[in-house]
Amino acid sequence: MNHNLFPGFIGLSAALFAIGAVGVLVRRNPIVVFMCIELMLNAGNLALIAFGRFTHTMDGQVFALIVITVAASEVVVGLALITGVFRSGRGLDVDELSEMRE
Amino acid sequence: MTGWSVGALPWYPLHFVPAVDLLSALPELIVGAGMVLMLIADLLVPPSRRGILAVGTAAVLSAALVAVIWQWGGAAHAYATFDGSFVADRFGLFSDALILSTAIVVVLLSPPYLAGRGLHAGEYYILLLASVVGMLTLAGGTNLIVIFLGVELLSIPLYVLAGFARDERRSQEAGMKYLLLGGFASAFLLYGMALVYGDTGKTNLTAIHRVLLEAVPAGHVSPLLMAGIGLIGIGLAFKVSAAPFHWWTPDVYEGSPVVVTTFMSVATKVAAFAAFLRLFSTTFGSAQSGWTVPLALVAIASMIFGNVVALAQRSMKRMLAYSGIAQAGYILIGVAVGQPDGTAAALYYLAAYTAMNTGAFAVLTILSSRGRECDEYRHLRGLGRREPFLAGLLAIFLLSLAGFPLTAGFFGKFFLFSAAIHDGQVPLAVWGVVTSAVSVFYYLRVTLLMLGQAGETEGMDPGSTGGDQLESWAVQTGDRRAGWTLPGRVLVLTAAAATLVLGIFPTVVYGVIQGIHAVTG
Repeated sequence: MNHNLFPGFIGLSAALFAIGAVGVLVRRNPIVVFMCIELMLNAGNLALIAFGRFTHTMDGQVFALIVITVAASEVVVGLALITGVFRSGRGLDVDELSEMRE
Repeated sequence: MTGWSVGALPWYPLHFVPAVDLLSALPELIVGAGMVLMLIADLLVPPSRRGILAVGTAAVLSAALVAVIWQWGGAAHAYATFDGSFVADRFGLFSDALILSTAIVVVLLSPPYLAGRGLHAGEYYILLLASVVGMLTLAGGTNLIVIFLGVELLSIPLYVLAGFARDERRSQEAGMKYLLLGGFASAFLLYGMALVYGDTGKTNLTAIHRVLLEAVPAGHVSPLLMAGIGLIGIGLAFKVSAAPFHWWTPDVYEGSPVVVTTFMSVATKVAAFAAFLRLFSTTFGSAQSGWTVPLALVAIASMIFGNVVALAQRSMKRMLAYSGIAQAGYILIGVAVGQPDGTAAALYYLAAYTAMNTGAFAVLTILSSRGRECDEYRHLRGLGRREPFLAGLLAIFLLSLAGFPLTAGFFGKFFLFSAAIHDGQVPLAVWGVVTSAVSVFYYLRVTLLMLGQAGETEGMDPGSTGGDQLESWAVQTGDRRAGWTLPGRVLVLTAAAATLVLGIFPTVVYGVIQGIHAVTG
């Protein structure tokens, strides 16, 4: 493998992670926030696979496969919860979810 | 069979058969199998008799608890199985016992409460069991992959459980907030794990521990590794709800059905702290100089923030949520101090926390089983007159949370603070004592409220503010039998007994956990 590409992979993954984290903090639509979380998880996957190639071990690829599965089940639960909130007549805006305040 | 002889693959098949000892994962297997059984039983049991599911679930959890006790004897010299990914050591088994005890209490208190709110569905028990499997896996995981899987397996069913009252706005909101912030935390945890893996080339905690042991004295700790450790710390701090990663806690605790809040506040915290201690005190222990100071700052921030904001609360669940943030700060002292004193003190505090917090929430659950959620402080006003027995038990739990002598909380804090002082981390102990003094105010306030000090007639007078709600509350509480079932009585009394035993005879439990340390395999 061409190790010169390695910083590129890690740089890309770090950038994706940062974009996702900023997105979670600034976006207000729960579905977009959720997509940003998925972006962060996939940044982790990219890092895991790149590191696996770099260190010549398989653990990273196994880990990434498991993360993909976990992320899929999180989506199933997440979209159901978001749909539930939407159907209760509230729009899709996380700032409006303020039934509870101290 | 040409080309597929053993000779052609001299090492390959053997190499890929990991050392599997299924008995070491017996509690996890029992709970997992029980979950599948309940899934089938849910189809067969008529809706009016769902109480059977609760009994079955409690039986499964009790069987797992028996398995944990059975494993205890053989766990003195635990070794990791599943190719080094899982271990049944005494540290993990102790955490397992706390998690299972909490789950049993929650399950047995659930039927009257859920039926009262029209939420009694079989899925509740199945999701709860799934979450317990995740917690047990997390407490025994010695591989980054297994730990991540444990965190997710405990979290995803909890997202659903938090939003279980799906027609109620608050519960929906709790579910969604928990989902979004929990997912955010998981992403941090995952990225931290990826960086640690990238630096060491290992996911196995033993191997990572060995790499660190060589790298640290030689001064070869890379920034990559420290960044990874930091991100893992952030991810776990979310799960134990330590400040400044606690925003989700009050809203999620308040919005969730109270039985779910009980389970979430106690069992999740125990499981997440088990992973915290195993990762930080043991695995990353040799790099301690790099993470002790940030961790101590998080602990101090949690103690201050949790206790100060709890002063301003008017809802029991929110108060206990902020108190939970403060308790997380206290337990983090044990993580910051490290092996062996810190770990033992943290485990002792977790045991005390399990007894007193489960007990306090159990009393709230019993009171809430009478039609509507008993959450606001004013609902508790004059409880000492109406139901002296329940009020007295709640007072014991609250005083224990405040750390009064003769209760579990006192020795829990004593062991933590003295461990901090022995380790030379005096500021942690000082902040702990100061914030504990602050906490006495809000715990005592509720206790005095129950004694009916300030205008208890307000609750009986429909003309006063919020009269409608209060009136219906007073009518509902007329039915004293609801929720006050035999299992409820036994469980609350057991929690109170545990709180007092831990406070009067601390050596009974401390002697057991003193020598325990989290092994990596």
